[in-house]
Amino acid sequence: MTTLFALARCAALLSALLVLRPAAVMPQKPPDVDALLGRVDDLYRSKSSIARIEILVSNPRTTRSMRLRAWTRGEEEVLVVIEAPPREQGTATLRVGQNLWNYLPRIARTIRVPPSAMLGSWMGTDFTNDDLVKESSLRRDFASRIARRSDAPPGWWIAMDVKPGVVGRWARIELLVSDEMLPVEERHYDRKGRLARTMRFDEVRTLGGRRVPAHLVLTPADVEGQRTEMRYLELQFDVRMPDDTFSLSRLEQKR
Amino acid sequence: MRGTSTLRIAWRNLWRSRRRTALALAAIGLSVMLVLAYDAILRAYGDWMLETITGPMLGHVQVHAPGWRKDRAMDRTLRDVSRTVEALRRDPHVEGASARLYAPALAALAEEGFAIVVVGVDPPAESGPQRLLAGVEAPLRHGQVFMGRALAELMHAHKGDTVALVGQGADGSLANDLFTVAAVIETPVDLVNRQGIIMDLGAAQELFSMPGEAHEIIVRARDPARLPETVAAVRGVSGLHGAEVLDWQTLAPEMLSLVQLVRVVGVFALILVFIAAAAGVANTMLMATFERTHEFGMLLALGTGPGRIVRLIVTESIVLGMLGAFLGAALGIGLVALTHQSGIDFAALTGRGPSAVSFAGLRFSLRFHPSLALVDVAQVAGAAIVTSIIASIWPAVRAARLQPAQALRE
Repeated sequence: MTTLFALARCAALLSALLVLRPAAVMPQKPPDVDALLGRVDDLYRSKSSIARIEILVSNPRTTRSMRLRAWTRGEEEVLVVIEAPPREQGTATLRVGQNLWNYLPRIARTIRVPPSAMLGSWMGTDFTNDDLVKESSLRRDFASRIARRSDAPPGWWIAMDVKPGVVGRWARIELLVSDEMLPVEERHYDRKGRLARTMRFDEVRTLGGRRVPAHLVLTPADVEGQRTEMRYLELQFDVRMPDDTFSLSRLEQKR
Repeated sequence: MRGTSTLRIAWRNLWRSRRRTALALAAIGLSVMLVLAYDAILRAYGDWMLETITGPMLGHVQVHAPGWRKDRAMDRTLRDVSRTVEALRRDPHVEGASARLYAPALAALAEEGFAIVVVGVDPPAESGPQRLLAGVEAPLRHGQVFMGRALAELMHAHKGDTVALVGQGADGSLANDLFTVAAVIETPVDLVNRQGIIMDLGAAQELFSMPGEAHEIIVRARDPARLPETVAAVRGVSGLHGAEVLDWQTLAPEMLSLVQLVRVVGVFALILVFIAAAAGVANTMLMATFERTHEFGMLLALGTGPGRIVRLIVTESIVLGMLGAFLGAALGIGLVALTHQSGIDFAALTGRGPSAVSFAGLRFSLRFHPSLALVDVAQVAGAAIVTSIIASIWPAVRAARLQPAQALRE
C-alpha cells in the first residue's frame, strides 16, 4: 500500500540526511541523487516500523474513511490490518516480496492477489495493489537524476525515468524533495507520458522521533474530484517484532 | 378486339412448340428460383449477424448512468431499475428489457485469486436462443453462480465447488462472500467465458451494496430496423431522465462496419447472380425468336403487318415471362419455406469443421435461417419478366423489318 510506499521513501530520506548532515548540503549544489532517494525511501520505514494510519477516500458522490495499522520490516515485508469501520475490521493485507495476500475475516479466507489484479484498487482507495508491491523495485527499475532546482519550497526535483525493457505502469516519476530532505510532491507519468496522478506530502510533524510529513494526498489526474488522503496518527521505528509477524498464519490471526 | 386475338394466337403459338416453351419456362423459372434462394440466404445472413451481435450482450439499445462507460465506477448506477425495466417492457417499441450489474472482483477456490468480472443478470430475461444464457438449463438460486468455461478451466473449478468472491461495493466498502458454482457455462461472448461469473441480479445487488440499482439496462427493439424511434421511446420512459441512452450502432461502431461490409459484399454477389440469370433468360428468348424467322417470313408474305408480328412476339414473351416467374417464385418460396424453420447448417456443409466460429469476441453459430420478404419476390419476378420481354423485342423488330422472301430463305 502506498502508505508504506510513502513511508519507505521518507525513511530513506532521513538516513541520507544523517549521513550528509544538513549543513553540509549547499542548497545550490545538487546533492547525490542516490543518497537523497535512499533517504526518502527509508523515511517512513527504517529497519522496521509500526504505524497507525487514517485513510479518507472521496469522490464527488461519496466519502469513506478507514483506520489501519501497518507493520513493515525491511523493504519486502508489509502487513496492514483494517481497524475501522467495523464492517471491515480485521481485513488484512500481507506483502512478502512480490506476493500479496488479502485476508477476509467475514468468509475466513486468505486470497493471493494475482498479477492481473495488481493494478486494481487496494481496499477501495486510489492506491493500487501494485503500489504496495512495487515500491522496493523503484530504484532498480528507474534511472534517477537531479532534474532541477525548486524555489518554492526550496528543494530539488528528481526525475526517474523507467529503464528500457522494464514492464510497468509508469514511464517517469518526478519527486520534489525539500532542502529539509522531506518529500513534497510526487508525480507519476504513464507510458504515454501523461500525468496520471500526483501525491502531495504536508503537515510535517515529529512522529516516532523523526520529522515526517504526516499527511499525504493522492489525486488521480483523470478522475474529477477523486482523491485519497492518508494521515499518520502514530509511527514507531525500529521496533522489534516477532519473526512470524509477516506470515500467512499470523495474517489470519491478526485482529 | 385485336388485343384479345393477339393473346389467343400467342397462347396457341406457345402450345404449338412445346419443347421451346418448356425450355424458355425452365430458363426463366430456374433463374428466378436461383436469385430468390441467394437473396434469402443473404437476408438470413444479415439477420443472423445482427442477432449474433446484439443478442447475447449488446442489445439494440443500452441505458447507463452518465460517465459509467468511461470509468465503470461501481457507484455510477441506475436507481430503482426493476420499476424502470417494467415500464420499458410495457412500451410498444420494446420487445424486451433487462438490467445488469458489472463488478470487477477476485475469485478464489483456495488461496490463489483470479481477476474476474461479476455479471449480475435477470436469468429469465437472458435465456433463449442467441441470448447470454442460451442453452443453460440449470436454475440460478440465491448463493449460486454460473462460471464461464474458460475461467473454470483456468481455476480448475467444477460444478458444486465453493468460490470466494471479493470486490468493492458501490459505497466503497469491501464486498466478500462465498458462492456455489451451479454450472460451468459456455456463452456466446468470449469475455464472459474467460472472465465472467454470473449471478442473479438481486444477489449481486446485495453483495455489492447496490439495493435496487444496476449499471446497465439492455433493451431489445420490436423492430431492430427502427432504432431511432426505439431510442426516443426509451428516453421517454420515466425513471430514465438524465440517463445515457445509446443504440448498438453508436456503442459498437466496429460491429456496424462489419455488418455493412458483409452487406456490400453480399449485394455485389447478388448483382452478379442476377446478371448471370438475366443473361440466361435473354439468351433463351433470343434464340427462340431467331429460330422462328422463317415462320415470320411466311406471315409477312401472307400480308400480316410488321407491327402485328412484334405485338405477337412481345405478348408471347409476356406470357412466358409471367408463367416462368410464377413457377420460379413458387419453387424459390418452397425451398426457403423448407429450410426456414430448421435452418441451413453450414458447419455440416464444411465437413467436420467447428459448429461455431469466434470473431470479434463473439461466438457465431454456423446455422442460419433463410427468409424472404414479399418485396424480394416481386422485384425478382418483375425483373425476370422485363428481361424476357426486352430480349425478344430486338429479334422481333429485326424479323418484322425483313423482306418476306429473304425471311423465308433464312
